[in-house]
Amino acid sequence: MRSTLVLVVALAAATAFTAWWLLRSTEPPAWNDAEIVVLQSLALESLPLLPPDPSNAVADEPLAADFGAELFFDARLSGNGGISCATCHQPVRHFTDGLPKGQAIGTSKRNTPSIIGTAYSPWLYWDGRRDSQWSQALSPLEDPNEQGTNRIHIVRIVARNPSYRSQYEALFEPLPDIADKARFPDVREAAHGPDWEAVWSSMTPDDRAVINRAFANIGKAIAAFERTLMPRASRFDHYVDAVINGDLQAQETALTDEEIRGLRLFIGEASCTQCHNGPLFTNNEFHNTGVLSAEGELPDKGRVVGVREVLENPFNCLGDFSDDPERFCPELEFVRTGTSLIGTVRTPSLRNVEHTAPYMHKGQLATLAEALAHYNRAPDAMIGHNEAKPLNLNGRQLRQLEAFLRTLSSPIGSE
Amino acid sequence: MTTEWTTIRLIVFLTLSVLFAQNATAHGGVVQEDDLCVIKVSYLRAHFKVYQPRASGHEQFCEDLPVASESVFVMEYLHDALVTMPIDFRIIRDVTGKGRFARLEDVEQIEDLDGATVFYQPATTEPDVFTVVHEFGEEGDFIGIVSAMQPDTRKIYAAVFPFEVGFTGVGYWPFFIGALVLLQLQYLLMSGRLKRWFGGRGSTGVAGLCLCLLLLVPTGETYADAGGLRVTYSTPAGPPTVNRIHSWVLHVESAEGVPIENAEIIVRGGMPEHDHGLPTHPRVTEELGGGDYRLDGMRFHMRGYWEIEVTVVTEEGSTVVVIPLQL
Repeated sequence: MRSTLVLVVALAAATAFTAWWLLRSTEPPAWNDAEIVVLQSLALESLPLLPPDPSNAVADEPLAADFGAELFFDARLSGNGGISCATCHQPVRHFTDGLPKGQAIGTSKRNTPSIIGTAYSPWLYWDGRRDSQWSQALSPLEDPNEQGTNRIHIVRIVARNPSYRSQYEALFEPLPDIADKARFPDVREAAHGPDWEAVWSSMTPDDRAVINRAFANIGKAIAAFERTLMPRASRFDHYVDAVINGDLQAQETALTDEEIRGLRLFIGEASCTQCHNGPLFTNNEFHNTGVLSAEGELPDKGRVVGVREVLENPFNCLGDFSDDPERFCPELEFVRTGTSLIGTVRTPSLRNVEHTAPYMHKGQLATLAEALAHYNRAPDAMIGHNEAKPLNLNGRQLRQLEAFLRTLSSPIGSE
Repeated sequence: MTTEWTTIRLIVFLTLSVLFAQNATAHGGVVQEDDLCVIKVSYLRAHFKVYQPRASGHEQFCEDLPVASESVFVMEYLHDALVTMPIDFRIIRDVTGKGRFARLEDVEQIEDLDGATVFYQPATTEPDVFTVVHEFGEEGDFIGIVSAMQPDTRKIYAAVFPFEVGFTGVGYWPFFIGALVLLQLQYLLMSGRLKRWFGGRGSTGVAGLCLCLLLLVPTGETYADAGGLRVTYSTPAGPPTVNRIHSWVLHVESAEGVPIENAEIIVRGGMPEHDHGLPTHPRVTEELGGGDYRLDGMRFHMRGYWEIEVTVVTEEGSTVVVIPLQL
């Protein structure tokens, strides 16, 4: 009898201990004040008001955004009449294309990045070779592998289309008369190589300026549309709201325990927020993370080349086509140069990262698991210096991080 | 004990001498210096490495390559002159019959150089880092030839390095590494460091912990003192936040509180724990008077511990004041 009692007590104690142990090991610990500050800094609520773009006078004009949206989706703005901005920047894929490298008239040099939230970035492209959305929007139009045409042809398309002409003239000045094909050659080919050089240099400096001005304006309308593309709230954002309000029920609905553990790793041991910080999960800076070169290609030199290009680009913030009389361009004026930029590329946003595979500047890594495994190893860079340190996380921790990354997804479309 | 060690030392020394001698003579322009593979284009040096990204990922090779595959040759300049020099890069099949002992003179005697060439990258100036990619179609003995031209004198400097693609033997790398391990072990044993290390582990741990704790203490000060100067900063547009370019006002004064005027101010900075600098090149753009200087172009791209190094140059000399900053 007594021995039965002892047995029952022992069993009860063991059960209680097991229950305590199980509960203890599944319930993630509560956040401390410092961690809550970091969580808050990552939430969409912390996104500051979009700063004005004084280089683009129509940046916040709704009519310009409407005109820009039409141009963005218009495949006539290309050498073969079949490629628009949206060929690669597909709204249903969060403005990416699901391919390692963009496929248009040819194959692009790099992976197609999303446009959402880029209005906040001082630099555009993986290598930051443009410094505004409007100057960026001009480049694919003239890239032989992308839209593959040239600025004269683009201005001509807008001038010949009555709707485009009236929208353009309502926003900017009257379109120049470019009907004279002797002065404004009728070529559709990409603005690239000796043939184009010959055409362009046959024009007078004044005529070239007329084309450049109208071309820049077209970019500014496209940028006015792109400026409206902002991320929407994700489960992560709802979770942070719930943490701040102390709403335990809402916290549990928003994220699972594994996802919360992943989040803890993300802001802690895995050091992800060194680069993927702020509400857009990017510092928009340039880092070398030692990704392997793409097949058949040289290692990408990245920003060290991009910075030279942006400083020379006639459509940059300091150039003749900026609308800012002050030419207030601190990012360009105080830009970092030098060998520390070898092999660096811009940190991409992690919002909707689940839906923007493949990853890295040449789409070298197909899945989130591969990307995380890469950071876990942090191998020496082929060129330059890998700034990341090995994380030495175990398989379970990597899966938790991946689970957390999937909480950054939001519905298609912008707010 | 002593005799034993002397013998081991002698063996190690002899092994190393043989290996180094082989490296230096047989490999022409590419040599192993410490743990770095270096190409010497005459006196111009560059860090040399080869990758086979498809076959072996991030693994680095100094010369010999395990398989016939896509191979990326990288030269990271250790001499600034290479930045402005046109460099060409040629790979030929080894038709000299000299294998590892082929030298520039042997290459110069080849009659049909183009016929033996499997890869040629004409001279280009690469200001940052020199890279070429070649997919080897077959295994065998090859010779790499790098030449760089001095743009002013038009003098040409060359490096020649024979190498094997698809080498079967492991070469003498294991011996080399083994020898290094032995040498290091011997040093540790003889110097008594190994013993001290094991014996002194406890105190090292404590010291390390203290250092970590020191680094973790947030710094709320907006000034720093050094060399009889105090530099105070203020941020007119609100406290510094991550990812926003902004301006500072620096106030420089002597220990007695006398403003320092007409000084030249140079600002650098970075995160010592992450081994990188500021994301921008900030500059003092205006002297505001009363020891105040406007500093434009400040931006931080991550949270954590930063150090801003302010160099104040006056007629008396230059002083570096380091401002700690916890973001």
